[in-house]
Amino acid sequence: MTAETEPLLNADTPQHLKDMRRSGALDYRSGELPTWCPGCGYFGITHAMNNALQAVGVDRDKLAIISGIGCSGRYPFFTTCYGFHGVHGRALTIASGVKMAKPELTVLAVGGDGDGLAIGGGHLPHAIRRNTNITYVLFDNGIYGLTKGQTSPTTPTGQVTGTHPYGNPDKPLNPFLLALSYGGSFVATGYAADAPGMEKVFIEAFAHPGFSFVNIISPCITFDHVNLQYAILREKFRPVPADHDSGSLQAAMALAMDGNFYSGVLFQEHRATWDDAVAAMKAKAGGN
Amino acid sequence: MNGISNEDMDVTIEICGSAGDGSIASGQILNLAITEIGYHVMNFDSYPAEIRGFGKSVAHSRLSNYPIHTTGQLVDCLIALDDPHSTTSLATLKENSVIIYDSKPMDYHEENQAIAGYIEPGMIGYGIPLRELSVQAVGSGKSRNIVSLGAIAAIFRIPPKAFHSAVKKRFGGKKQQIIDSNIMAFDLGYGYAAKLEKADAIDFGNKMFPVREGIKIISGNEAVVEGCLDAGIKLYAGYPITPATKILELLAKKLPKRGGVVAQTEDEISAIGHAIGGGFAGRRCATATSGPGLCLMVEMLNLAVMAEVPVVVIDSQRGGPSTGLPTKTEQADLNLAVLGASGDSPRPVVAPANVEECYHLIIKAFEIAEAFQTPVVFLLDFFLSNRMEDVLFGEVDQAAFGCYEEVLAEEGESGYERFALRGDGISPRAYPGMKGLQHTITGLEHTEKGLPNYNAENHRLMGAKRYNKMRKLAGQWPEPKPFGMEGELEVGIIAWGSTIGSAMEAVENLNKRGVKAGGYFPRLMWPLHEEALRLFASRCRKLLVVEMNTTGQYANFVDQTIGTRTVRAARVYAGPYPVDDILAAVDGL
Repeated sequence: MTAETEPLLNADTPQHLKDMRRSGALDYRSGELPTWCPGCGYFGITHAMNNALQAVGVDRDKLAIISGIGCSGRYPFFTTCYGFHGVHGRALTIASGVKMAKPELTVLAVGGDGDGLAIGGGHLPHAIRRNTNITYVLFDNGIYGLTKGQTSPTTPTGQVTGTHPYGNPDKPLNPFLLALSYGGSFVATGYAADAPGMEKVFIEAFAHPGFSFVNIISPCITFDHVNLQYAILREKFRPVPADHDSGSLQAAMALAMDGNFYSGVLFQEHRATWDDAVAAMKAKAGGN
Repeated sequence: MNGISNEDMDVTIEICGSAGDGSIASGQILNLAITEIGYHVMNFDSYPAEIRGFGKSVAHSRLSNYPIHTTGQLVDCLIALDDPHSTTSLATLKENSVIIYDSKPMDYHEENQAIAGYIEPGMIGYGIPLRELSVQAVGSGKSRNIVSLGAIAAIFRIPPKAFHSAVKKRFGGKKQQIIDSNIMAFDLGYGYAAKLEKADAIDFGNKMFPVREGIKIISGNEAVVEGCLDAGIKLYAGYPITPATKILELLAKKLPKRGGVVAQTEDEISAIGHAIGGGFAGRRCATATSGPGLCLMVEMLNLAVMAEVPVVVIDSQRGGPSTGLPTKTEQADLNLAVLGASGDSPRPVVAPANVEECYHLIIKAFEIAEAFQTPVVFLLDFFLSNRMEDVLFGEVDQAAFGCYEEVLAEEGESGYERFALRGDGISPRAYPGMKGLQHTITGLEHTEKGLPNYNAENHRLMGAKRYNKMRKLAGQWPEPKPFGMEGELEVGIIAWGSTIGSAMEAVENLNKRGVKAGGYFPRLMWPLHEEALRLFASRCRKLLVVEMNTTGQYANFVDQTIGTRTVRAARVYAGPYPVDDILAAVDGL
């Protein structure tokens, strides 16, 4: 099942592949053949993430990638870092534990909209409250892909799915509004077909001291034929406006609610991280 | 401890009051004082689950000059700080017991509630004006509890010096005036009672014996905390739940001083998730909960089995099912601890018998979690979590509990396989931060490399690997030391956890009566020592399994493992297992 992924560098190799090879970004990619459908937005996310990791210069043996269950859950297998593919919905709890026990590691948590907003929805506010210095990338495709097309918390009302043959009766969640109202210190977004935009956002997320929440809109080309289509998103997607004030919660919420899809940082504030709190705690407690 | 008296001293005292009367505080002072004169103490307080109200609050302490294993059943001396509540305790008094009561109590609503009216022939009542003397010392009735301690010291001839020092320790950090006035309250009680004619036989002879250096009076929960600290944990994550909350609170205070951190998480799932994350990162981590929380943790526990992540999960059992009896003791989570999982999911379960073992065995739990790359469930119960004993923490007893070492991979080794198959099931471990050994672990069935794989042969091999580790642990963990008589036995008693103390006293009692009895008391609850159990069973004409649940959860494991049909003395009490009930069960065999 292992695929030969070493790009052949010869005269016919396109220049962008040669550049990619030389950049070292491919070092973060394992030889495992991804379990995703051809055309899945997750390939784009992986590509942008590898570039970002390379740009930031994260050591592969000091990077822990924690995932839950779902198509996105398989992500760690396609990397050459330390990975933990856990149980459904609990990636943030494990990621937070890794960081607390070993603060010198870089910790990346990944999960889907079902994993992070349905079964694991109870953990997000608390991860945000703790403001642990980890990056959480939510692969939001608005559908349960691995179980073949059921309604997720971000599926629009009325959409016909395997579990809602007469249309989804529930109102979808807005992940950005959730993260903003929980008090997220870094809330950003991107689009799976916009690798340069995502790369930029990921680099900023890794640089942010505290919990970084990045929601990536990503088409599921197999089980969603009406909602998050490349053709539709191409029209609605745009960079965060140049005059957007990412220090303003009101401005961030306005963008989150205007029905467009953005790439960029919606909101960022610098507040005490878990590490700061621990340092203060230890100072009060005394001892070594 | 020879020479205090010709006989063994073994006195059980109960201080009974309404919540707020200070019965628990005075019990703590009594415990401190008694160890000041070189005695042993075992104490168990009971109080209502509700914070508000006027429920009955009892400090129960057994004092002795030889090692004891239980808190005892019948009471030698009752101190009545509140008459209506104390009269309900009369049934647990011995025939010739002592009752210390307030000779000038407040008026009761009903005439017949004064305890003095209930003193039966043979019992000895000492009426002391507790309230009056307290008012004299501190200006109010709130030091009645301390006055009563003065009376005990005078009547049983315990050196007052020990109590003075105990009062200072208990009120350490408070204003000097508070300490002084309480010592005065003690002295007034002492002076008053010293003039009374001694009518009882309990006599400590006013003697002091050397205090054992380094002795502490602590609870099971506190011993677990000390063990966690000495084991060098880096992260403790927990969610409040009786009776495990104290572990979270104490570690929150102490762990930051020892280089670790404590996280109070949003629920028990998150708590174990944090601990597993830390374990994956190569640090010692733990969480503690009670039955309802363990129910929530089961999926994560199962993940740690599959992904082979070391983590220690402490379960202080309380009455169940469901929310059950939050402040009552029970041993009914064994099935959940051993079997709670989807699939075949082996994990070691360890249960200490007493406070001292809480310390030693929690350290062992961290060692075996690492050495066998597995979650370990550590079973306490409400009684063991909260009872106080005088303990001396020495070196961890390797002969009794074994010695275990973690096998790590070599940094930079090429072609590293996280789950490499070896005979004993243990693959050298690597974790984030180790150079060149990157891999991904998963709750999916996986290959030696750790990649998802659903092939039947691979699944069989990996399943066997997980069980082989447990087989190796059973081989490495020393078999339980035989207890009681040797050779052929009329009756063999099997017990575990906090019930071991009661079973030990039952065996001792039977041996004294000439009954050939012995005990088999495991601390490693799972995996079982099959050969040792078989050998013990072959020595016994009758086999009795004593445990605080209704179905005989450990008895089921024994029978299923060695094909016996044990007799079950499986009962729930909402309190410790009474020795007399074990003896009655033996008589009924």
